[in-house]
Amino acid sequence: MPYLRGLCNFCGTGCGHFLRVENNRVRGVYPLPGHPLSKGRLCVRGWHIHELLQTEERITQPQIKYGDRFKRVSLEEAISFVAEKLKSISGQEIAFLGSPRASNEDNYLFGKFARAVMKSNNLSLSSDAGQEESAITLLQGAGWPAMLGSMERLRQADFILVVGGDLTKQNPIIASEIHYAHRAGAELVTISARKTQMAKLSQIHLRPEPGTASRLLEAMAKVLVDEGRIAADFISRYTEGSEKFLKYLESLSLQEIAHLTGVEIELIRTVALKMAEAESAYAFYATGIQSLDHRTMAALFNLYLLAGKLGRPDCGINPVTGISNLLGSYDMGVSPAFLPGYFSVEDKAAWKRLEEHWQIKLNPIPGKSVSACLSDDSSCRVLFVVDHDEEIIRNVKKIKELDLVVYFGAYENAFARLANVIFPLTTYVESDGTYTNCERRVQLSQKKVEPPAESRPLWEILTLMAKALGHNWTYRSAEEVMTEINRVVPQYAGITYGKLRTGWGLKWPCDEQHPSGTDSLLAEEMSRRFCFILNQDEKLAFLPRLQEKDQYPLKLVVGRSNYFWHQNSIMKKTFIPKREYNALLLLYPKGFVEISEEEARRLGLREKQQVRVVSEAAEIKLAVRISPDILPGMLYIPYFIDEMIPEFLHRQVADLEKNEEFFLPVRLEKVE
Amino acid sequence: MERPLVPIVTVPEIATVVEIREEIDEVKTFYFTFDNPEIEQAFRIRSGQFIMCTVFGAGEFAVSLPFSPENDRKHISVRRVGKVTAALHQLEPGDKIGIRGPFGNGFPFEEIKGKNVIYVAGGIGLIPLRSSIVHVLQHRKDFGRVVLVYGARTSKDLMYKNSIKEWKATENFETHFTIDRPEPGWTGEVGFVNQLVARLDLPVENTVAFVCGPPVMFNSVIKELKLKGIKEQDIYSTLERHMKCGIGKCQHCAIGRTLVCVDGPVYTYKQIKTLGEQI
Amino acid sequence: MYWLEKNQLEQLVKKLAKDYRIFGPRRDEVSGEVIFDWLENLSDLDLQASIPYNPPKFILFPHFEEILKYRYDHRSKKAVIERINLLEPKALVGIRACDLTGLLCLDRFFLGQEFVDEVYLEHRKKLFIISNTCVRPFPQCFCVCTDSGPGAKEGYDLDLTFTGEGYIVNCGSKKGQKLAEELGLKEAGPEASELRQKIIDDSISSFDRFALENKAWISRATNRLTTGFIKPEVWEYIGNQCFECGACSFVCPTCSCFNIEDVNSKTGDTYRVRTWDSCSFEGYTKMAGDHNPRKPVEDRRNKRFFCKLSYSQSKKYLRPGCVGCGRCARVCPGDIGLPNVVTYIRREITEG
Repeated sequence: MPYLRGLCNFCGTGCGHFLRVENNRVRGVYPLPGHPLSKGRLCVRGWHIHELLQTEERITQPQIKYGDRFKRVSLEEAISFVAEKLKSISGQEIAFLGSPRASNEDNYLFGKFARAVMKSNNLSLSSDAGQEESAITLLQGAGWPAMLGSMERLRQADFILVVGGDLTKQNPIIASEIHYAHRAGAELVTISARKTQMAKLSQIHLRPEPGTASRLLEAMAKVLVDEGRIAADFISRYTEGSEKFLKYLESLSLQEIAHLTGVEIELIRTVALKMAEAESAYAFYATGIQSLDHRTMAALFNLYLLAGKLGRPDCGINPVTGISNLLGSYDMGVSPAFLPGYFSVEDKAAWKRLEEHWQIKLNPIPGKSVSACLSDDSSCRVLFVVDHDEEIIRNVKKIKELDLVVYFGAYENAFARLANVIFPLTTYVESDGTYTNCERRVQLSQKKVEPPAESRPLWEILTLMAKALGHNWTYRSAEEVMTEINRVVPQYAGITYGKLRTGWGLKWPCDEQHPSGTDSLLAEEMSRRFCFILNQDEKLAFLPRLQEKDQYPLKLVVGRSNYFWHQNSIMKKTFIPKREYNALLLLYPKGFVEISEEEARRLGLREKQQVRVVSEAAEIKLAVRISPDILPGMLYIPYFIDEMIPEFLHRQVADLEKNEEFFLPVRLEKVE
Repeated sequence: MERPLVPIVTVPEIATVVEIREEIDEVKTFYFTFDNPEIEQAFRIRSGQFIMCTVFGAGEFAVSLPFSPENDRKHISVRRVGKVTAALHQLEPGDKIGIRGPFGNGFPFEEIKGKNVIYVAGGIGLIPLRSSIVHVLQHRKDFGRVVLVYGARTSKDLMYKNSIKEWKATENFETHFTIDRPEPGWTGEVGFVNQLVARLDLPVENTVAFVCGPPVMFNSVIKELKLKGIKEQDIYSTLERHMKCGIGKCQHCAIGRTLVCVDGPVYTYKQIKTLGEQI
Repeated sequence: MYWLEKNQLEQLVKKLAKDYRIFGPRRDEVSGEVIFDWLENLSDLDLQASIPYNPPKFILFPHFEEILKYRYDHRSKKAVIERINLLEPKALVGIRACDLTGLLCLDRFFLGQEFVDEVYLEHRKKLFIISNTCVRPFPQCFCVCTDSGPGAKEGYDLDLTFTGEGYIVNCGSKKGQKLAEELGLKEAGPEASELRQKIIDDSISSFDRFALENKAWISRATNRLTTGFIKPEVWEYIGNQCFECGACSFVCPTCSCFNIEDVNSKTGDTYRVRTWDSCSFEGYTKMAGDHNPRKPVEDRRNKRFFCKLSYSQSKKYLRPGCVGCGRCARVCPGDIGLPNVVTYIRREITEG
């Protein structure tokens, strides 16, 4: 049977597909019709995953760098080389960068290796702060860190609100489900400054000024109060903190918000009431670079809570992850904030629990994220990186000063060249592993082809390395790792390979009460109440930025494209998506910045003219692209143009992450 | 001139680059001969046709043929625009390339005998016209007035300087050259090609025109020619499209109901107008 | 005409398998979905299953294949070019009428134009085709509207029609005749022909009202597409819904656009690879340099439907390019499969 059932490993949708395998090579792909979420659809990336899976640009040999040259070595040699160096390294001196593309089993053991073997809590994924923010916000409000609603009931929805980035580009099949729900009768509203394709598919497109989406959502909440449309019964039965929130809403003025956001009161009112009237209402936002800030997520959560549109089977707030196992990586505790299973690192009892499970003394002092380890003058000397993107190259100076950089990866990658030791990994079709999509659906990807002779799954290399450091790790398969995850991660308690092999995955929490998984968060089943999220001190945090208007009058937002995925280090190994990515650049070989026609006229700019985009921290030269999709006062740069990223955006990723909808105040200068 | 019975369709024939000339900035001319003497003998083209050229290790691209079907050295002139052409520009004499073709319909030759012929080219638009110019000059007595109007941004951007020198000295061949801005030492005309076309006294009756160049130049020249009274069906041009196979299968070059690689690349302006896409 | 007992089917397939690699519909054990696939295990063949999710196009025109191999040594200036042998005897067992029509379209396009596509020819040379009458239409099907089913009319070596008890066998070629004789199939009388027609008629009458109604509309849409009298707003509406995934082209039994890339392997050989492509992609027509003659997404959508339905494009297939399999409707993230596009055009016609 050359068509083998599997799942796509690009974005967090986790679509089902058939891979056509011939002579141990993946020669084609076809959508899998029965899959409950993708229902026989794939996006342009998914339709070309076979091009990636047979690329020649693989890492196939363990290598150690001596001087400037890599020398091929055996696996044993590489492991003992690393183990020897690690013997003199303390937990503070090492940092672990996990991969949101790696399986749950790999991520779990990576975390265990860091915390149990190296006694280090410097463990994180790279820049996807949006996901962590989302998990923290939802934990605060609902005690549940991921998608609250069900994708499977979406087509019966009455109302869908999409906030922020363009899901048609980041998670096309999720966007497709939303589109189908809309075609089946749901009211679809998009909130985004830019006229995205999602916005074009919507009935109502609200275009608040960049940075004011949270105020817009708060205004909607105020409308519900003013019109007596809050779900009073639900609020008193299932929530706490409503008094404070209602009081806060009192302090708001709809006129002021309408002025600030540029959205008319009547429109705010219409949308709020449509939402309140809907029997089944959902909200979506993307995590990742196009994510929302804490404030906007909180405003969205509070709005839905106020309307009683949470804790029911046909309602929910659904954050959407951009990378295949981004959610699973957090589930496994690859984060400075969480232990496996979302136990807080501040929680003493959780450390104790973990020590019992792992039968080893742990270091309970919370660690830092890898970027924190690399950007300050920390004592970091060693870095472990899994199958990762080029983005951390922004810390290249610090990385070059480290004593040891170990890279685990399946594909050639610019970062690997900075490593001292390289381990070749198997791809997701060359070994078993589970991946958790944004629905919380844990899916099993089974081995379909034989890996190159020297390539190993990460869990296997880590097991060997732990043994070399005197730890008695005995894992013989990914499935064995999963049986340990069953005990350590409560949400995964009932997830077994046996169940996964014969079905479409299981949505966590999957435990004794929910042996076949959980579709959505139900208020009756909660052990606690929902909380309105109020962080008074943050209330005006964004205002000072707006006051820099004279110097930096324009708001620069960034976004995604279909053909981009993960800094493109992966997409560049395909043919068609790579061509498409290049096609956009052919017209603007040095990159472009989008500007509205009105703004272009005002500034006297013409199409393809060279301009300098200047922010407080950096500047970049780009060509003007006049676009009907953006508002005056706004600029747009597609994030995928990697030539731009290191030069310009990387220097301000921290700034971007702090901002609502990630806008940067900038100005434009003509290049003479 | 008959079309070759068997063009090289699927597997490229290996050829040797025997000489490379720098024409203008970013454009080089590559002279080649086939390694297989039988092919070298049998290879026949029509003006206006194109070949698919393989740069080993980089890929294949379509390129129009600038040499005359008769008594002319085989060569191609290529601007560096993408990955494959960049690799071609790296080659040295002695390097091998692969060739499939020739493909496409080509310019009319027999049908225009006895007529006046006007060539209007802008920049590297002279490349596809050169073949027809040389061929017509080789059969000069069969044609009426033969005129070339050629313009480029600067004198440095004029293609085929050797041919131009020769053509200037050719009797019964009216040549006019123009550049966009005045330059010291330049003795030709100054201004855009369409302006020059407007000024010139060109034949109209019993006349065909061949026009090639960038879209803006193309459209403005067509306008002038039509003003003078040349009919749309007597104006020929050659279309460039993204081609992958050359034999009408990959469909990359499809425009409406026509495939540029087999139905074209030569079209009359009348046909081009009905295609419904940009030039 | 012959008569094939239910239990003789296995014998037939086994006999074919001696000379051919067998492809046919099988059910995926978890999803229950039907795919047309290489049958490593002949007993997986399921002729009663519904229309496969994928057309058999990949067998003759693979998603990704090497068509040429070469090696060039820049130092010694030595070039060696090798053809790759693609010839392999293959049998398609249980191909539906719509897919067979699609295959014949590919034949006409790849083999019947000015040039013969030698790569396709290699795959096509040794092919044994057994078609299977659709006795029951499936929800998305509209082959009755495009004159491509439910019964096969031409192009098969053997054609099977399931009667409930066994199969009526039609021979369409000498090869097919020979196999039927070698198997010692029982000859069927003229009543078999009538029975087959009745089964087909029953099948047609059970088609969804939507498909039957659309029959006239498809030809009117064809008129509109050919003459170009469709408002730009309709294309814009369609274009806005396009996710640019390319799926409609990939699943279409007659879409044959491809891309070619030269891929350097680590061994020093370069492979010329041919892969499926779609006119819905922006880079499809984009040329090196800076020029794309076909830019907005609605333009590209327009191109595909023009290719599937217009008269002028039908010339290359000697019939419409759409065979009514309905797969584009099932895989489209934007809900703009061909039946829906016809509906949009229809709406425009009726609303003026």
